[in-house]
Order: sequence, then structure tokens, then C-alpha cells
Amino acid sequence: MTSVTAAAESASKTAPSSKKPRRFLRGEEITAWWFVLPSFALLLIFVFYPMLQAFVISFQNYNLVGSTRSFIGLDNYKSLMTDRDFLASLRHSFHFAIVVIPIQTAISLGLALLIQKKFKLTGLFRTLYFIPVVISTAVAATVFKLIYNKEFGILNNVLKTLHLPTTNFLSNPDTAMNGVIMLGIWKGVGFFMIIFLAGLNNIPQDLYEAARVDGATKIQQFFRITLPLLNRTTAFVVIMTTIDAIKLSGLVFVLTSGGPNGATETAVYYIYKMAFQQMQMGYGTAAAFILFAIVLAISLVQMRLFRNAEH
Amino acid sequence: MNSKSKVVLSAMLACGLLAGCGSKGDNAQPEAGSSSAPKEEKVSLTFWRNSGNDAENSAYDKLVASFNEAHPNIKVEMSPIPYADYDTKLRTSIASGSPPDIMAVDGPNMASYAQAGALQPLTAYFKKNGNLEDIPKSTIATYTYNNEIYMAPLTESSIALFYNKKMFEAKGIPLPSKNPEEPWTWDQVLDAAKKLNDPAKGVYGIDPAQGFGNAGTAAYFKYPIIWQFGGEIMSPDGTTSKGYLDKPETKKALQFFSDLYNKDKVSSLEYPPDPFPNNQLAMTVDGSWSLGNYADKFPNFKLGEDYDIAPLPKETQQAVANGSWSLAISSKSKNADAAWQFVNWVTGSEGAKTYCSITKDIPARYSVANEFPELGQYPKNIFVVQNQKFGRPRPITPVFPQMSEAVNKMIEEVTIAGRNADAAIADAIKKIDKAYADLPQK
Repeated sequence: MTSVTAAAESASKTAPSSKKPRRFLRGEEITAWWFVLPSFALLLIFVFYPMLQAFVISFQNYNLVGSTRSFIGLDNYKSLMTDRDFLASLRHSFHFAIVVIPIQTAISLGLALLIQKKFKLTGLFRTLYFIPVVISTAVAATVFKLIYNKEFGILNNVLKTLHLPTTNFLSNPDTAMNGVIMLGIWKGVGFFMIIFLAGLNNIPQDLYEAARVDGATKIQQFFRITLPLLNRTTAFVVIMTTIDAIKLSGLVFVLTSGGPNGATETAVYYIYKMAFQQMQMGYGTAAAFILFAIVLAISLVQMRLFRNAEH
Repeated sequence: MNSKSKVVLSAMLACGLLAGCGSKGDNAQPEAGSSSAPKEEKVSLTFWRNSGNDAENSAYDKLVASFNEAHPNIKVEMSPIPYADYDTKLRTSIASGSPPDIMAVDGPNMASYAQAGALQPLTAYFKKNGNLEDIPKSTIATYTYNNEIYMAPLTESSIALFYNKKMFEAKGIPLPSKNPEEPWTWDQVLDAAKKLNDPAKGVYGIDPAQGFGNAGTAAYFKYPIIWQFGGEIMSPDGTTSKGYLDKPETKKALQFFSDLYNKDKVSSLEYPPDPFPNNQLAMTVDGSWSLGNYADKFPNFKLGEDYDIAPLPKETQQAVANGSWSLAISSKSKNADAAWQFVNWVTGSEGAKTYCSITKDIPARYSVANEFPELGQYPKNIFVVQNQKFGRPRPITPVFPQMSEAVNKMIEEVTIAGRNADAAIADAIKKIDKAYADLPQK
């Protein structure tokens, strides 16, 4: 530690000291760096160093409990490109994302509009809609598992009383993903509703007043004032939903364990399975980097799109 | 910020990092030096196991307490870890070089740990004071890899055919024999299942292998069906599945299993919770542990009145998987001798007797089995005799985690997705061969 202080002292001494205010600024700057340093160092040690290490591992044949590792170049990446299970898991993640992003965003915006107005029970409804976010994933998934059950579940009983055909939702590879999607939306909507609510409250009320005076209908107000001014919020919500959706794993873990026949195995679940159940750390890490690249690319494109829309 | 201050900043960061690393290294060395030469000091051992049901947990609590009392210089600290996290946690601890001294490992995972050099061979200890002759040869074989014993068995588990007696009587179906060596054939089972099956009323014929869960469970319940048809999973040396998994008998078993769901429709991909004791399932294949579970949770569902058990069905031969959770010692343990004392305390005759009297499990040792007369009588004799006469290990192979996943996927693809059996089998063989080729060689 002494070496660091010495370095800092010598740095402040060697700095040009002809003008006093400049010297003062410099001192302040250094203090600021001292505040930044601890968190930056932690970030470096606990985030960037492991990432770098993981990147190296992705080029290795590395068995989790084995004592040896060997470099195999791009082999992991090459075999992932033709791995049926990995490609299927990517498809499942995107299926989930493509359905969830528009529906969840629309519902959360709708709910935000509903609870924005101050009525007697607004507080109650705000709480009610937010509760799913607070409930633990494991509990929610376990309860939904019972709801979806064919013989026993409430969902099929409702279908039965409506004289609709019943189905074993989670055991049928064609419908299982829909079961996961419904739970995902149920659980995610509340959080983004709150974000939208904050965005809505930021829109000045006089704009609406002016619109009313000009004779604009509610629908016109929504499309001409609310949506454009919510652009930043919507961008945040869509990007976060995309990232969350592609990273989906916890719900799947409890609800279906990736089944039936891998129909709900998402990319992150696949990576977990490879690395920790099958102990193929190098292979799993390579898959994680492919997913990372995909998520990064999508986020960049989305940010660009929303920025263009703003101007 | 100008370029000079950037340089200063990076220098500061570098110094900080170096300083941090340096001091850590200095501290670590004397620590390692001092603990490698213990002098009459109290030895502390860490022991990890997957936490089980209440009976299992209290049995272990009792054994650890009595060991610590009898050995004043050794202190065993037990950490029960939830089953779902257990394997991941254990593997991470081995990978990071800080495994527990003693660990519980599920039988079929032994070879992958042993091949990686994570386990201490126990053969010499067993020969010294482990009373090896007291354990059936087939059981020891399950825990042997490359001629070394790596785990000390405590209990055995086994599975049997459970059937709803009242449903059988209502349909006038003759009951299967209770003699462990006179099982029904799968055709007889299918015939009965067809008569009992009534999906409109929410009653299904048979759950042949505990549904579709994780690969480990699948291996335990589904491999016996393949063996019963004369099929195989892997070569005896555990290096490849080529020539075994693609045997016509294996394919026949796979087809039969798939037909239960798709052609005959006597099995369902999904059941309500606890279908068997709730009279929604006429037959199921379940383990010895379920007897206690039903007695506890479904007191109105009585053995002998409402249900009975029969040996597992056969096609060309009888077969059942053996191997259970057992204890292993880490190769990194600095106090392996003390660790063996504990392992031998738990899995030796006295310890196993204490354990099995609480959990009602089937003991691995002959001498302990003789202490419990009920093991020679119905219903437990079915499990014991099947295990001793027809028990065989799931393939002993270092690629078990990958192999079981590939085989599980193959069964699911054929049964649930209706994929062509030949293509699914070929895929599984390819995956298993790749996993074996990727094994780190020493």
C-alpha cells in the first residue's frame, strides 16, 4: 500500500505547478480517482478478470473436476455450430424472446396506463400487479406446475367447463414453451409496469391539456403524445426484456427442467447443463461466449434503432 | 483528464493489484507448511453430503456425534447440502482445489471423479480393517474403477413392481407372484395394463420408469428395462457404446418403452401428484424407500390390502441396477487416515446397523442384513434377493454424466418426439464417443 501512496505523492509533485488553480484541480481529480479506484479494482478482479479467464477456457478442453486442460483452438466453437442440442436451445430462447417482448411490453404499458390515474383503489391495484415480481421464481414455478397439470390443474378444469379440449401443457413438446412464456410474462409484467409508470409521470400534463383544447381524441393523444415521449422508457424496457428473455433459465429450471424432450431447454440452461452437470467446462463456456456475442449484437442494434427514432 | 494522469492511474492500479497478490501469496505459504505437519493436534475433517429425508438426516447426526465422542482428537464437521445443488457444489469445490475431506457421491458418478484424480483409493484401507468379505462382490464391483475401490457402501436400494391390488381384483386379473425369482414378463404386464387403463376416468395402466426426470434417475429406472430385454448400454470397460447401445435387443426395449406411451397408451407423460396411492395409477415401478413413504403419508393405503409388490418384470432375463450414495475420501485430504476412521465408523457393521435401524434402508453388508429378520420376508426380501442375484452396476465409466445424458435424450426423443430409433441411437453413440475422446488424459 505504501508504494501506491508514494506513487500518488510523486505524481502530484511532478505535475506542472506554475498556476495555482490548475494544481488545485489536479489535487481534486486525484481525490476523485481515489474514490473510483476501489470499485474499479473490484470490478477488475471480480468481473473482467473472470471474463478474460472464461474466454481462455472457451478454447480449452477442460473437464470441471479433471486436473488437466489442453488447448484445442476453435474446436469447441466449431462443434457447437453443428450441435443439434445447442442450436435447438438457441431457437427456444429466441422463440421465448420473440413472443415475450411485444406481449409483455404491451401488457405492462397497458397496466401502467390503467393505474396511472388516481382512483380510490389505485394503490391496491399497483400492489397487486407488482406482487408476482416479488414472489420467488421457485414458488411461482411450483404453483404454475400444479395449475398446468392435466388431471388436477385449474387451467384444464376451466377449459373443461368451457367445453374446450384439455391438454397436458408441460408434457407436450408443442405446448410446453407456451406454458413457460405465460409464467414468464406473468412474472415480468409488474416490474416493467413500474418503469412505464415512472415514464408516464414524467410527461408534462399541459401537453394533454393543450391536446384536449385542440380537440384530440384519447387515441390520438396516446399515439401523438404518450408513445413518442415514452420513447426512452420503451427503449429501456425493450432492451431489458430482450436481455432477460434470452438469459432465461431459472423458470425453466423449476418448471420443466428443460423437458419434455428438451423442448424448453433454453441456451442458458443448456450452458449450465454442459458446464456443471456434464462437467464440460470449456464447451459450456464457448457456448456462453456465443450467446454473449448474440446478446451484445442485438442490444447494439436495438439501441441504434431507438436512437434513430428519437431524432 | 490528460494522458499523464492516465499513466499515473494505471501505474497505481497495477501497484495495487501486485501488492494485493503479493501479500496473499506470502500468507498462504506458512499456512500450508504448518498444517502439513500436525502434532497431536485436534484434526478437523469436513464432511459433505446431500441432505435426505428426516430419518436419514437424524441417522447421520447420530453417527457423527457418536464418532466425535469416541475420537477426542478428531472432529468431523458435517454439512448437509440440498440435493439439487449438491453435485454442482461438490464439483465446483473439487475444481477450485478445496474439496471436503469426506464426501457422499452417487454410485455411478464415482468413475468420473476417480478418473479425474479427485478420490483417494480405499483398497488398502479396506484390506487393513474394512472387513471386505462382508460386502457382496457385485456391490464392491460397482465402486471399483481400474482395480481400485474408491467408495465405501452403506446401503443398497432397489426397485420393484408396485401394483394396486383392489384394481386388479375388480378387473379379475390374476395377481403376480411374490417370489423374487418368478417375475411377470413384460407382455403379461402390458396385458394387465391394457385392461386396467381407463384414461377417461383418469386411471392409467403403468408408469414404467418414474416418468422423465433428470438423467441420473432415468439411468436407475430405465437401464434395467434395456437389460431385461437383453440389451446393453456400454462396453464392460466403459469406453464405448458402439456395438452395445445399437444391439437389436436394445432397440427392441426402446421400442417397447415408446409403445407404452404412443401405441398402447397405457402410460402418460404426466401424472397428478402421487397417482399411485391415490388410485390413479394401477402399476408403478418404485423403490424400497416408497414403502416407508406410503406408510407415513398415506396411512389408508395399506400394503397387502390396497397394494402389493412384485419383482421387476423380465423379458429374457431379470435385472436391476445397484449402487447407491456412498462415502468417498478426497485425494486432497491431508488427514486421509482420520477420514478413513470416520468412513469405516459409518459404513462398518456397527455404523450401518445404527443407520439402517433408523432409515429402514437395505444395508450393503451381509452381517448387518442378518441383524434385520424382516429383510428375509415379504416385502423387503424382493428388493434384497433381486439386488443380490440380479443386481448390476450402471456402466462404470468416467463419462457417466455425459453418457447418461445422451442415453436419456435418446429415450426422450424416441418416446416423446417420435424420432426414428436408429437415428436417435446413432446420435447417442456419437455423443458418448466424443465425450470419451475429450477426456483429459493423464
